[in-house]
This record gives sequence, C-alpha cells and structure tokens, in this order.
Amino acid sequence: MLELLLIPFLEATIRTATPLAFAALGELVSERAGVINLGMEGSIIAGCLGGAAAAVLGGSAVGYLGAALAGLLLASLFALFVVRLGSDQIITGTAITVLGLGLTGTLFHLAPTMVGVGATLPTTGPVPLPLLSSIPLFGRVLFTQPLPTYVLYVLVPIVAWWMRGTHAGLALRAVGESPVAAAAAGVPAARVRALAIGFSGIMGGLCGGTLVLAQVGSFNENMSAGRGFIAIAIVVLGRWTPYGTAGAALVFGGAFALQYLVQTLGLALPYQLFLAMPYVLTLVLLATLHGRAIAPAHLGR
Amino acid sequence: MVACGPRDADVQADQGFRVALLTPGPISDQSWNAAAYEGLMRIRDSLGATVRHVQTRTPAEFEENFRQYGADRFSLVIGHGFEFQDAAQRVGPEYPQTVYATTGGTGTGANIAAISFAFEEPSYLAGVAAASVSRSKVLAAIGGTELPPVRTSFDAFTAGAKSVDPSITVLTAFIGNWDDAGAGKEQALAMIARRADVIFQNADAAGQGIFQAVRETPGVWIVGSNADQNALAPQSTLGSVVIDIPHAFLLLAREVRDSSFTPRVVRFGTASDVVRWTPNPAAPALRRDVQSRIDSLRRAFADGRGPALAPAP
Repeated sequence: MLELLLIPFLEATIRTATPLAFAALGELVSERAGVINLGMEGSIIAGCLGGAAAAVLGGSAVGYLGAALAGLLLASLFALFVVRLGSDQIITGTAITVLGLGLTGTLFHLAPTMVGVGATLPTTGPVPLPLLSSIPLFGRVLFTQPLPTYVLYVLVPIVAWWMRGTHAGLALRAVGESPVAAAAAGVPAARVRALAIGFSGIMGGLCGGTLVLAQVGSFNENMSAGRGFIAIAIVVLGRWTPYGTAGAALVFGGAFALQYLVQTLGLALPYQLFLAMPYVLTLVLLATLHGRAIAPAHLGR
Repeated sequence: MVACGPRDADVQADQGFRVALLTPGPISDQSWNAAAYEGLMRIRDSLGATVRHVQTRTPAEFEENFRQYGADRFSLVIGHGFEFQDAAQRVGPEYPQTVYATTGGTGTGANIAAISFAFEEPSYLAGVAAASVSRSKVLAAIGGTELPPVRTSFDAFTAGAKSVDPSITVLTAFIGNWDDAGAGKEQALAMIARRADVIFQNADAAGQGIFQAVRETPGVWIVGSNADQNALAPQSTLGSVVIDIPHAFLLLAREVRDSSFTPRVVRFGTASDVVRWTPNPAAPALRRDVQSRIDSLRRAFADGRGPALAPAP
C-alpha cells in the first residue's frame, strides 16, 4: 500500500509543487509590492524556451541561468509599461502572457529539432541528499528530488525572513499598502515595484526552467499550460505570506498528484471530474478558510 | 493597400489548385499535427498546389478560418481532427465551390468529406504486442482528451491485449489537453507506480512527457501513435501505431484536383496501408508465435475478416 500508492503520491506532490512554488513565490513578492503580475505565464513559457536553448549551448547550469534571464526579460517589459508608463496592470499582464506564448512558439519554429521533440537536453534528475534521503518515508519523498526543489527549501525561509526582518522587506510591504505613504517615508516606490516585478520574472523563468530541465527534457509550445495563473491562485490561498504560499503550492501539487493517481484506479467515472479536482479544491478552501482579507491594500492599482 | 493589389489580381487570374490546412495544435509535435503538415507539403510538392496552414484552437476559430478560405475560393480545406466536424457542416453549404474535409468524423455533405482511419486495427495489434512483452500484466493508455477516435483506439488496444491474456489490466487516463508535457510525465509516472510496464500514448505534444518518463524508467515500454515515433526513445519504444496521414491527404487532394471527388466518408484501413502497426526495429524481436499471430491478424484486417471492433467515428 505504502509502496504502491502513498510514496508515489507524495513524490508526485513535491515534483508537481516545485515549479508552481517558484512561480508563486515570485508572484507573492510582486503582489506584496502592489503589482498583480498576470504576465507570469509569459515569463514561465519564456523560461521554458530560454532554459532549453541555453542548456543546449552550455549545459544544465547555464540552462537555469538562461531560464531566469528569459523570465526576467519579459517581466522587465511588464515593469516598463506598468511602473514607468503607468499602464493598467491587468491589461499589460495579459498582453505579456500572450506575447510570451506567441513569441516562444514563433522562435521555436525557427529551430524545432534543437530543443523540441527528440532533443537530448541535459536534464537534472533526482539527487538523493546524503543521510537525509535515508530517513524512512520522508527521506525518499523530500530529499530524493531534483536540485530546484532543494533551492526552494532554502529560498522560502530566506524570502520569509527578508520580508519580515529587513528594511528592504519592510519597504516592499509599505509600497504594496500605500505607495504614496511609502514615498513620503523616503522609499523609492517605483524602483521597489520594478525590482519586485524583476524578481517575479526570474522566479517565473526558473519555474519554466524546472519544467524543461528537471522534468520533461524538451520544449513544446504552450507547455506552461496555465501554471502562471495557478500561481496567482496559490498566492491568494497562501494569504500573501511566504510560508502560506509554499504550503498552498503543496496543496495544489497534492491535488494534481491525487488526480493523476485517481485516474490510475480505473474508477468508472468521467475523467473530467478528476481533472477538475484541484480547481474545485481551491474554491472550497478559499470559501471555507476564514479570516480577514489580507491582500495588500494597493494591489492592482 | 497598394501591396494588396497585385495579390488580389493573382487570385483572380490564377484559380490554380489551392489547399489550406487547419491544425488544432502546433505542427512541431512530431505526431498528429506534424504529420498533417507533412501531408500538406506533399500536396504542394506532388500536385503543385498553393498551400496555407493555420493553427486554430477554438471552435470559433475553426469556423472563421473555414469561412475565410471558402471566401478566398480555395479548392480544398482540411480541418485536421474530429473536432472540426461541426464547423464544416455549418460553413460548407455557404461555399459550394470549396471542398471541406475533416480528418476523423462521419459528417458528409455536397462538398464535405470525412477522412476516417481504421486506427483501431493497428491499435489492436499494438495491444497484442504489448501484452506479450508485459511482465506485470498491467498496461496503460494515456490520451490528451477523450476524443471518440482516441477512445476507440484505446478500447481496441485493450481488446488486443486481452486476446492474449484475459487477466491483463489496461489502465486508462487522460491529461485534459494536448500541451502539458509536465502533466503527461506525471500521469505516466503514476501509471508506472501502479506497475504498468507498457504505456500506449496518444497525447501529441504532451506525449513528450510520457516519453521522458519511460526513458527514465528502465524496463518500461512505450507505444507511439499517429506518426512513427520509434526514434524518439529507441531503447524503450515497442513500436508505433502509425497513420500515414500524408499519404491519405495526397490521395484525397488528387481526387479533388482531378474533379473525381465524391462526397463521402473516405475510409482508410489496414488494406490501404495508410494505418499500420510499425514495430521498432531497435527493440528486441517479439516471440515468434506472437509475431506470426500479429501477421495473420494484419492480413485478416486487410481482408475485412479481423476481430469485430467498434469503428473509429
């Protein structure tokens, strides 16, 4: 039972949650600065292609770097319009996502065999951590994962500490609550927002890099498959806190993993029912987890 | 506006043979859509046709593009999938000089044809082959979405497997789209965790993830579909259930060009060699008795004497 159902389920949960957590952590920082980055999906797909192309040129480490830069590139464009030119966040973000999906598709068609189907990209498979991976049950689940997962184990506490305990983190939160008040207190609001968007782009790019380099091993069009939007839901479910976001990413990862598992059970039910599970779960959790609304006051404006 | 002038003049002067293709997904998938594009290129090269391709996602786009090519007086417009049927039925009567064909489906009309592949016949053979190499007696089939032709193919695969050993289980799952290769991989890993050791994939681009899962798991076989996918994972692919879509497109286009086209369901079965089971030459040979069983089943399908299977709609 353990071998056949529970362990594979938990492993799949962590694997599925990893790219989602990268994107959600980026989205969280952006939203705490008051910016809804709907261009996240665009950064993710850019990260997928950038990661694949860079990995072909220089191996997997260069691949992740390329993924981060590609994500940052699209986010910079978003920042330029939203922060510098004062464009509407929702419309600009949507445009960035459409641009990212279209542009990656077009670029991909120029050299599909290099990074696409049948390409042999350098992938980064699971790396068992010494000692930790031999802990019964959890060792295998938590510490026999690809490197990006371990990066997250470190990154989540760092972001949490940075946001709570540093001046820069305070500035970020202040800008999200009231850019005017923050500016009056000497915080360069525009620069903080731009940097926050840049960080979210890098995280989106790493989400894409993880998908390509740690999971699928090749690029295909639209492979981001809505993860940018799921990331936005994760931030809401995580109540705009780093640990909450990480937890919510796990909840989503678990819901998807459960969906994969349930489909293997051969139940005589329409599969669409299982596919809807993660989304139904979100609705239920959002509706039942009580507490006051804690979105940054200036979010989206 | 100036640039449009000469082009319009060309269209007016030269009503040559022109063919358009609508695919539901990217033509870089090395599967369903790639094969269609290859067919379009073959129509261009062999019949000297002017060709256009467009990727369409939603039924509204299907209709809009059907309409546009009809208004442009294209000779033949192919909607590449079962899902294009309704759009063809709606738009076809408005542009009687254009022939509309859908790959899959059963809908016909005065200028509407459906190309139907007996994909279930080689799927059955794949099931026989898969059952004979399985140690765990658990097989899996993973599709993109549950289109009727995919369902029929999976049912035939299951029937083929059970004809070898009735105790075999075939687990079926759908990803919900044809793009999410990450989900494809996880679904495959979930199947493998449930001891499946042969996976029949029909998920186009999302199938890349299924191939990756199998590449990473020694001892698990994959069966490709639509195009010959044997080279994608030579060490792990048992074979591919191939539809020679380019050949089928060429046969249909030739009819349209020669004005010998009659609206009907154009059915390609094992006899036409348009659909076939293509074993991977790099995989170990099947047991002799299994191979001869597959050969005789293939002949039976070609003669119309094969096991009764629900035909692909």
